Amino acid sequence: MNTNFMHIVLADDDEDDRLFFTDAFDELKLNTKVSTYNDGVELMNYLKTDTAKIPQILFLDLNMPRKSGMECLAEIKADTKFKDMAIAIYSTSASEEDIENTFVQGANIYIKKPSDFKTLKKILSQVVTINWQYHTNGLNKDNFLMRL
Amino acid sequence: MTLKSIYNSSWFLKSVFALSIFIILFVSGVTYKHMKNLSYSANQVEQTYKVSVELEQIISYLKDTETGQRGFIITQDSIYLEPYLKGRERINNTLAQLRELTKNNEDQRVNLRELNTLIEERLSNFSRTYANLKNSSPNNPRFDAIFLEGKNKMDEIRVRVNTMIALENRRLEERKEAYKKDLKFTPMFLFGLTLLTLILITISYTKIQADIDKLKDANAKLEIFKASANQSEIISKHGNWQWIVEDKEFIFSDNLYRLLGEEPQSFDSTIDNFMQFVHPEDLEKLSIQVEKMMEDQELPFINYRIIRKNGEIRFFKARGKKVNIGDFEKRVLGTTHDITDEVENLLALEEQNFELEQNNKELSAFNYVASHDLQEPLRKIQTFISRLEDKEASKFSDSGKLYLKRISNASSRMRLLIDDLLQFSRTNKSDQVFETINLNDLMENATQDLAEIIQEKNATITLKNLPIANVIPFQIQQLFINLLSNSLKYSKKEVKPLVHVACDVVRASEEEVIKKTKSDFYYKIIFTDNGIGFEQEYAEKIFMLFNRLHNRESYSGTGIGLSICKKIVENHKGFIFANGKPNTGASFTIYLPKK
Repeated sequence: MNTNFMHIVLADDDEDDRLFFTDAFDELKLNTKVSTYNDGVELMNYLKTDTAKIPQILFLDLNMPRKSGMECLAEIKADTKFKDMAIAIYSTSASEEDIENTFVQGANIYIKKPSDFKTLKKILSQVVTINWQYHTNGLNKDNFLMRL
Repeated sequence: MTLKSIYNSSWFLKSVFALSIFIILFVSGVTYKHMKNLSYSANQVEQTYKVSVELEQIISYLKDTETGQRGFIITQDSIYLEPYLKGRERINNTLAQLRELTKNNEDQRVNLRELNTLIEERLSNFSRTYANLKNSSPNNPRFDAIFLEGKNKMDEIRVRVNTMIALENRRLEERKEAYKKDLKFTPMFLFGLTLLTLILITISYTKIQADIDKLKDANAKLEIFKASANQSEIISKHGNWQWIVEDKEFIFSDNLYRLLGEEPQSFDSTIDNFMQFVHPEDLEKLSIQVEKMMEDQELPFINYRIIRKNGEIRFFKARGKKVNIGDFEKRVLGTTHDITDEVENLLALEEQNFELEQNNKELSAFNYVASHDLQEPLRKIQTFISRLEDKEASKFSDSGKLYLKRISNASSRMRLLIDDLLQFSRTNKSDQVFETINLNDLMENATQDLAEIIQEKNATITLKNLPIANVIPFQIQQLFINLLSNSLKYSKKEVKPLVHVACDVVRASEEEVIKKTKSDFYYKIIFTDNGIGFEQEYAEKIFMLFNRLHNRESYSGTGIGLSICKKIVENHKGFIFANGKPNTGASFTIYLPKK
């Protein structure tokens, strides 16, 4: 097993979604290490410890108790420590308002949770293989929302 | 300036009157002078006669004296001396009168003086005769010379008197002539002037009469206007008031009293009396404004409440403005309007609006539930179903697999319904921004969105050039997508679908179907297909929410798509109509206002 795996973090209060997420990565058999947090507070507590390993990609649910995804996004963007971390919004809704706000706040991609496991796997595999440098340079409001 | 305008000008009457008075004064003056002349002439005539009479008298006295002398000479009787003695005195009296009568006439005075001298000489001749007669007989030749001298003097006197009478007669003739002349021209002149005055006064009278008629007419009109103003005040719940700036007094109209719930003119129209009706909370506000009005002669719109004596609260709105009408003193004309009904309507409307807002909020909340909270469990159900299908399906019995398939279909349908409902509620939003955009671009986006199904059905879409219009872009794009997908969905199974989109600019008045127009010109866009069509009787029904003409087994659908189309078109203040013929096709006509 290659120790140079990709570190991926998901913050989502929904147990089922966390299950689908980890199942998908298990089945994808990519070189990834997935850790999940139950809400924004847990996530930020982890990220703020000095010893924390900063993930390559953070999947962030928006609607969470205690601390919402938007709040986490704002805190993360305020800290230069996380400037190389890609942030994927991972939400049930794809309302114009949410898309607009997260784009302005500096998220890298917006994923609407699919209702099909196969599609989920497809999306996640695409996201982890994105060249973020390239993607971020050409980012605009139209390609911010991920489409298959 | 025309004659008529002179006639109608305000100074015309004044000038005519001034002229008339001047002429009358002139006529009076002339008449007075003429009368004076006449009496003077009469006096002069009388005087002339008197002078003649007096002169004749002198001759007569002298003759008497002469006669006495002769008698004395003949008889030597002193009785004959009496005429001589009396004559002298009388002659002196007459001469004195003559002097008085001729004092203004230089010629006659000279004549008179000479006459006087002649008479003196004659009389001295008499004296000498008498003196001689005492001493000698009249036959004495000495007397011859004296008698001759007496006769000569007498002749001279006669000549002088005749001269004087002739002179007086000449003067009398002259005066008669002048008097005649005066009599001839003066009355004609005076008559003419009087006639002119009469004409002028007649003109003035006509003018005054005409003015009075006009005034009466204007007064009648004013009365009518007043009555109609009163009536409209009552009907429209207005009251009028005037603030007479110089006198610092108010005038209230009848209806203002009625608005206060009082009988017209039942109390003095003072501001203090009025303020007694004003609601205590509005009293200060109104007082300040009224005081300001008294200085600025202008009352801006002000709202206040009054309390009638029966306790009823009414809402008033007042406004006043300075006017200068004719020669009237400066006034502020004000209007007070009872807006209680409006205020009550407004309050009712506000209440309704509040309720509507509440309803809308509830609907929005419901929409959020539908879009978000309902989606989440559904998504999980679907994901779990896909997990089951992928991993566990092989372990199911055939009926188990069938049930799983049915569950999957049902949840897919639910997903479709939720998505469409969400879209429908999004079309509800009224705060969408209109943009001027090329409709061809929106159509291009729509066909790209439907590329998959177009390819799958091998459909052909032919397009006429669409205009650039002011629309809500994403809604029009949705409209195009819905109409195209509707045509593709209800295509005939065995025939290649064909959709034709045409566009024209039309005049609203020429389109029968357009009833209430907001715009003169419309873009008329027609989507025509060769699908299964529908019975024309359903042409309106198909736009209703959840209305479907077909069962789900033959054609999938939620019955929301065309409702969304209608809503979008209505958002654009346009119209949408459907035409169908079973097994031939359907056409959808959209009218969008051209701005």
